[in-house]
Amino acid sequence: MAEPGRYLYAVCRGLTPEAVDGIVGLGGGRIELLAEDDLVGLVSPVDLDEYGEEGLRRNLERLDWLEEAARGHDAVVQAAAAIAPTAPTRLATIFFDDDAVRRRLRERHDAISAALDRVEGHEEWSVKVLTPSAEAAPEPVPVASSGAEYLRRKRAEHDARTTGERDAHLVAERVHEALVTGVAASRRLPPQDPRLAGHQGTMVHNAAYLVERGRSEEFVALVHQQTDAHPDVVIDARGPWPPYSFAMLDDA
Amino acid sequence: MSVTGTAEATATVPRDSRQIALVDLLDRLLGTGVVIAGDVVISLAGVDLVEVSLRALLRTVEHEGSS
Repeated sequence: MAEPGRYLYAVCRGLTPEAVDGIVGLGGGRIELLAEDDLVGLVSPVDLDEYGEEGLRRNLERLDWLEEAARGHDAVVQAAAAIAPTAPTRLATIFFDDDAVRRRLRERHDAISAALDRVEGHEEWSVKVLTPSAEAAPEPVPVASSGAEYLRRKRAEHDARTTGERDAHLVAERVHEALVTGVAASRRLPPQDPRLAGHQGTMVHNAAYLVERGRSEEFVALVHQQTDAHPDVVIDARGPWPPYSFAMLDDA
Repeated sequence: MSVTGTAEATATVPRDSRQIALVDLLDRLLGTGVVIAGDVVISLAGVDLVEVSLRALLRTVEHEGSS
């Protein structure tokens, strides 16, 4: 194999080599720490046939490859975030050698430090708000007496759906306003396509909340409260996760 | 912890929502809102840019039925 590339998973502060003992990277590669000033890049060697430009072009369009890479990347991020402030990188952030990684850490030191400052001692919670899935089997509807009646009914159904979604959007705003009161930061994310996310109903709100470690019970209680207050929507909250939405090193 | 509420939901909390659903993970790791079927630009070694179409990904998913 030609000289392997360096897959960068995340940048941390205060991480020691013993801490990453036993953490395995993509392709079974050993995790190495590249320290530069007070920052530590977590890397592992990867085959550039698979992770180089041509390889990525091929592989990023395969769901099975993407899934394995995402899971492998996440495993390293989760392990690091459990023990040190961690700023994850985007999937497939690859360098040709260690020097290139160190150069990046030097050049972006201040931005990375700011990101780490922001998330240190915090975790991410994902909260989505959806309209309910269709209720039980609809009542049988008598055959429309005319074409006009049929169209009127179709229009009414469409309007009801639209109104339902608009109402759900308003509810979601109220839920969001309640949730942000106790958090360090929040970030709205695009609603997800049901073909990939597999949800019923319409996703009217998708957001990430940065919650101080130790205050997650409080946050969950707030979610429960909002769930009780708004029985017309589905609230799906999950966490705690590493702070992906608040410390992503976009240009890493 | 995970909390999902509906009018008819019970109070059971699924054991582990630390596990991140693939679509949520891809949204964050790819940074595109992948489900919008856009293109992602991957920076390789900070110099080369690889542009990948995720429309192909969406077609794959549709073909397989679900993720």
